[in-house]
Amino acid sequence: MTPVQFEELAGRALETAAVRHADYADIRFEDARSERIEVRNGEVIALRDDVSRGYGVRALCDGSWGFASSDDLSGPGIDAAVARAVDIARASAAVGTTRFGMAPGDAHVGTYVTEVEIDPDRVSLEQRVDLLIAAEYALHVNPAVRTGRAHLDVWRTKKEFFSSIGSQIAQDIRQIGSSVHALAVGNGDAQDRGWPGDRGLYMTGGWEVVARAGLIENAPRIGEEAVALLSAAQSPSGSLDIVLGGSQVSLQIHESCGHPAELDRSLGWEANFSGTSFLEPQLRGALRYGSPLVTILIDNTLPGGLATCGWDDEGSPSGTSDIVREGVFEGFEMSRDTARLIDCTTNACVRAQSWQHVPMIRMCNLNLLPGTHTLDQMIDEIDDGIYMESNRSWSIDDRRLNFQFGCQIGWEIKRGKLGRMLKNPTYAGVTPEFWGSCDAIGEPSTWVPWGTPNCGKGEPMQVGRTTQAAAPARFRNVRVGVGYDGR
Amino acid sequence: MDDRERLALAERAISDGAADSIEALVSDQHDSLTRFTHNSIHQNLDSLQTLVQIRAVVDGRAGWASTNGRDDGDLALARNRAIAQARFAPKPIVPVRLPGKATYAMPQLPYDAATADTPPSARAEAARKIFAVAEQAGAWAAGYVATATSSVVVANSNGIRAAFSGTIAATNTKCVAPIASGYAEAYSRRFADLDTTAVGARAAAKATDAGELGTPDIGDWTVIVEPPALGELVAFLVPHFSAQRIFEGASFLADGLGRQYMGENVTLIDDYAHPLFATCPFDGEGSPTERVTLIENGIAKDFVTDMEWAERLERRNTGHYVPGGAEGPYPRAVVVQPGQRSREDLIASTKRGILVSRFWYIRVVDQRKAIVTGMTRDGTFLIEDGKLKGGLKNLRFNVRILDLLSSCELSDETVRTGGYSYGMVCPAARFDRFSVSSVTSY
Repeated sequence: MTPVQFEELAGRALETAAVRHADYADIRFEDARSERIEVRNGEVIALRDDVSRGYGVRALCDGSWGFASSDDLSGPGIDAAVARAVDIARASAAVGTTRFGMAPGDAHVGTYVTEVEIDPDRVSLEQRVDLLIAAEYALHVNPAVRTGRAHLDVWRTKKEFFSSIGSQIAQDIRQIGSSVHALAVGNGDAQDRGWPGDRGLYMTGGWEVVARAGLIENAPRIGEEAVALLSAAQSPSGSLDIVLGGSQVSLQIHESCGHPAELDRSLGWEANFSGTSFLEPQLRGALRYGSPLVTILIDNTLPGGLATCGWDDEGSPSGTSDIVREGVFEGFEMSRDTARLIDCTTNACVRAQSWQHVPMIRMCNLNLLPGTHTLDQMIDEIDDGIYMESNRSWSIDDRRLNFQFGCQIGWEIKRGKLGRMLKNPTYAGVTPEFWGSCDAIGEPSTWVPWGTPNCGKGEPMQVGRTTQAAAPARFRNVRVGVGYDGR
Repeated sequence: MDDRERLALAERAISDGAADSIEALVSDQHDSLTRFTHNSIHQNLDSLQTLVQIRAVVDGRAGWASTNGRDDGDLALARNRAIAQARFAPKPIVPVRLPGKATYAMPQLPYDAATADTPPSARAEAARKIFAVAEQAGAWAAGYVATATSSVVVANSNGIRAAFSGTIAATNTKCVAPIASGYAEAYSRRFADLDTTAVGARAAAKATDAGELGTPDIGDWTVIVEPPALGELVAFLVPHFSAQRIFEGASFLADGLGRQYMGENVTLIDDYAHPLFATCPFDGEGSPTERVTLIENGIAKDFVTDMEWAERLERRNTGHYVPGGAEGPYPRAVVVQPGQRSREDLIASTKRGILVSRFWYIRVVDQRKAIVTGMTRDGTFLIEDGKLKGGLKNLRFNVRILDLLSSCELSDETVRTGGYSYGMVCPAARFDRFSVSSVTSY
């Protein structure tokens, strides 16, 4: 990429903001390409190639924020967008009493490029479609597989960020993901199975990520399992020990740790929509969040992490920081303006969906550190329980305490052995009690950086791309079967 | 840009003859949203984008590409990418065809110029009125005041020329008092019709009327849901009325049309021209959108299609194509017809029950059976002897939506409601048997 393609326009924007007496301003240019292929029952039903280029301007005036975005890359277009951002900020300042500011931050100048082993641009459209058609075909092991799907997303986002404190950052971020999915229908029932995990394997990187997903190799098993679920026993209700597969643990981290640890939620900035949080600033270092086995870190430098980059969308450098350390709640995901309110510095968790969207705190790479158990050891130590894999349903209250999740598939565990397949497994709990019951986490070889490509937050709604690296984990004495037990 | 300029842009986009047929959808979106918390504005934005989506068809195969560039070079690049994709795609079982010329029945008054031009100072003033009401009640408010203008044009090489512009203004407010919170919202085509003082007052009253929060028993309850809650619940039924979902066997309608799935008092219609919607009269490929009766007196009557699914299932095209096509046709303006009694009568005739202002995080537990789980939030009240008796802690439920709608009563007034992925016109409803699974600590 050209490191500073938009330097001249950025200079004009920041100068215009200064002339209009903005206390701070930044401008973020993005040039994004999104390619998607989707195959359903042998047919290519989506073959898309979308490009979008534009910029967003933030202005802080009299302690209030304004944001304007535009795809008009002319000089007058820049002037108009900056004027709109400043006018909006001044309108905000005219009402209300809270004044916003920024925690201290340094100016950064640099470039970041995602490391890619196999450039997806070197993989032809023909190769891509052939892979998906073969993988989707392999799902149809039985006529009961009514619908097979396979899909591929290839994303490339070139960003340039400039701020009034002197930052000048260029990034070229490559993300990719793929999956297969079988829907089996019969006996008045419909059962889903997906691979890898429930949404696919999404990471930063190149075609090597698609190869790692193993779509063709796993598709026959996924098809068979979807069909077998139609006649499988209903998962039981009651209170049992459970082992969750790695992708489900990833979802559990996402919903019950990643979101409540967003500082904007805790401060009430998402109160009317995404909700607030049971994690409050004064609880840092004091709240027992989980068992001593539970350590959850932000790591926006994680190789392959879907949120891995050099700097966030307000120009702060990626790094690592603690959210939960050995079971104790330690800190939040933060932006510069929220960090200031709790006397911290930002840990670079600001993202915007696109140039059109206002930057805000987003869950980035938030990972549960691996433990020492093999999956067999975890199962071996259970007398009566369930092993569950791949999310199907997820719901949690607006402070992120009371949750109910369902998985695509389960297996009975009796006296340390995996038994018959179970359909519709669900479990429910309250966040700190649930994580407090965690007594085993899988060893490093079972740890996978599961990416979530479609995390929703904010108004207007923004879609975020995030990773929760996780291994399988065991939880004791959990309520199971909710939703199918008449309650 | 106006409609004429958007049509000209679309015509430039399809000007090349290298595809057998070609279509351009030009969407022009202007979103302005002022967001507040703790009685101050913390996010305030204005976003403009013109997007050109091109679908090229070669020998019955389709390719898609889009760009937000508007010069001839950008359009040619996107067009060529779409054509290249179409040439490469394997031939589908049902060859892709684009619709031919059509006429459209425009809804009444979809566009208000003053709303499209609402300045940030007006949105801030509207927010200030909410702050004032909240402060007076000893509460703080979080929410938004927003306006949006959506313009869309479809042109294709078969002669389709369709254009529509509409505005929407909306506000929602959560008022947070020391013990409880309350919620209210309003939608209108016209910003001038939004009464933010009234919205703030409704939310504040719910927050302050709650008092000490009680804990509902686990089990089955009579529950009255206000329109935002009914809308969110019914939104999870809407995908079941897609031809694709039915064909795949994942819809409850896979058991067949003409069957009684709900109570005789329940009628669902997809109606873009309803005065509270007044939205686009054509779909993403320019086919005229029909008013479709989905459920009539509890009996399944119909579902929605597009060009592809009409041909696959040998049914008429109802005009519900969604650009991209992967998820199939989709209802986009569902109206739940009202009942006979007022919301107040429903409460007054309830011996013991729960009033729900709003749901949160409803998710599908079992798609074929339409079982969902979710939470209440921002205004859950105990009803005893026909009167509200104070607030309740929030509860989790697991329900089969069809069971709820098989034994319900609907109020006599419908309003516009919505969420991030749906719009709905609906009344309040009383369900006879609503299953409470667990209760939160707040």
